[in-house]
Amino acid sequence: MGRQRLEIVPIMPLTWTHAPRPARMDPAGNSTARRSDYSTVEQSNERARPPAAGRMSRSGGLDLHFRDVVCRHGRLEAVAGVDLSVGAGERIALTGTNGSGKTTLLRAVLGLHRQVDGQILVGGRGSRTAAEWAWRRRACAWIPQRPAAGRFPLLARELLASSGAPAAAGEAAGRLGVGELADRPLSSLSGGQLQRMHLARAVGCVAAGAGVLLADEPTAALDFEGQEEAAEVLTSLPVTVVVVTHDRAMAARCDRTLEMAAGRLREVR
Amino acid sequence: MNALDQVGQLLQLVPVQRAGAGLLLSALGLPVVGVVIVGLDIMPVRFAMMHVALLGIALGQLLGVDPVLCALLACALAGAGVAPLARTPDGLSGAMGLLMSLAIAAALLMLALSGVNANGAFALLWGSILAVRPADLAVLAVLAVLVPALFIWRRRDLALLLHDRELAWCSGVAVQRLTVLLLVLVAVAVAGAIRLTGALLVDALTLLPALAARRIGRSLLSITLWASGIGLVVNVVGFLAALAWDLPPGPVLVLVAGAVALVAHLVPERRTSSWRVSASSSVPSPH
Repeated sequence: MGRQRLEIVPIMPLTWTHAPRPARMDPAGNSTARRSDYSTVEQSNERARPPAAGRMSRSGGLDLHFRDVVCRHGRLEAVAGVDLSVGAGERIALTGTNGSGKTTLLRAVLGLHRQVDGQILVGGRGSRTAAEWAWRRRACAWIPQRPAAGRFPLLARELLASSGAPAAAGEAAGRLGVGELADRPLSSLSGGQLQRMHLARAVGCVAAGAGVLLADEPTAALDFEGQEEAAEVLTSLPVTVVVVTHDRAMAARCDRTLEMAAGRLREVR
Repeated sequence: MNALDQVGQLLQLVPVQRAGAGLLLSALGLPVVGVVIVGLDIMPVRFAMMHVALLGIALGQLLGVDPVLCALLACALAGAGVAPLARTPDGLSGAMGLLMSLAIAAALLMLALSGVNANGAFALLWGSILAVRPADLAVLAVLAVLVPALFIWRRRDLALLLHDRELAWCSGVAVQRLTVLLLVLVAVAVAGAIRLTGALLVDALTLLPALAARRIGRSLLSITLWASGIGLVVNVVGFLAALAWDLPPGPVLVLVAGAVALVAHLVPERRTSSWRVSASSSVPSPH
């Protein structure tokens, strides 16, 4: 069966009525992403939003800056002085051995890891106030490493709705082959199905206006075909992508590959 | 027929009517509080709140303020106080143990220093369903409105928070604020229920219906509805049985609730597994 391309039709295209508009879009030409990958997305977006927002989509999401970022787990330094600039729309693969600090770095962006020094800017905005955190959480879509089965049942439909764009997420779930599982509790899904659900949720987040996608080993539980499909979906989204992965095919689809070792970052490709 | 006549006669009495009204009202709010207790994994909350309430009573007697009011306030403050510990998955469960130890130590010290009779303080903590006062009914009525209202109003946020705190945070839920609100509500409800019905009954009214519902329901909404429904049935059946055979209502209610929880634990097991098998065979292939 041929692969279908995802169409992202934002409900609230890269703007929020209750939060400041994401600042600092990409200067033209910053991204080296394959435009053809999301040509369908652009076409559909053009229908749905005004020209200004359309330009925002073309540049693809928000830029991301790490300045001397140090993350600790108690006394252990998991991330040691990371400096990194990711242009808007750029796709970064983050590789490295287990325990090298990749997940911690991603979690620090979202505020899930709290012992952080240095500065992390998304779209030029820091995270000093509660309002800035609220903005950050909307601006960044997240695919967790091992999606929690949860202490309490949550229906897949509720997970998709938590993206802020239930229709877009539901449609993505359908294309990823898990649409019919929407009324099931997440605890009854297999690891791969759960990962597909989170992928569909991330597509919903992007449709709801997120400008950055942080994905933590999003293809780890998927079969070979699923890995390819997930990589296609992730790299076709019109946003900045930082993906932690051990999957070479996924890394090959990204613009840059960075390697983390003992909390430090170096560019591989 | 004899038992039926006896129930009819007993229901004419005002304390029995109040007890019945109290149980009906508590069926609306307390099982839902139980759902939160199960969801946040804070089963030891009852013990913690018993001791915090005792500390409140000791403080009230020392200061000459209404001890029951002080107990409720102390529990509300303790609930809000432990909220920051909810950041780690087992932070709250451990915090309840710590709170229990600290509160009982502080209460005993205070009772000793003030010369207040410790037994008198304890007696205020052990209520009985047949000694329910109109003021206690008012507390139950407020809970019966507040708790379901919160669940309807913040349904989506609560489902996410009780499932996974980090997912809720990333989905824009005001995790910290909602946790404080839930813990204060749980603390006050448990303290209020201990005072109203005695420590034994608290589990029958809150935890057991929620545990049974947790086995049956598949989402927060269905679990909440099941918990309230089971709570209502348990309260009515248990109370009428106690009246009919002239038994103490507390233990009868606990036994009925326990039996329902046990049945719920056994029955859907088979249904769930067969449902899994049929569902997995019908999973559509992604390609």
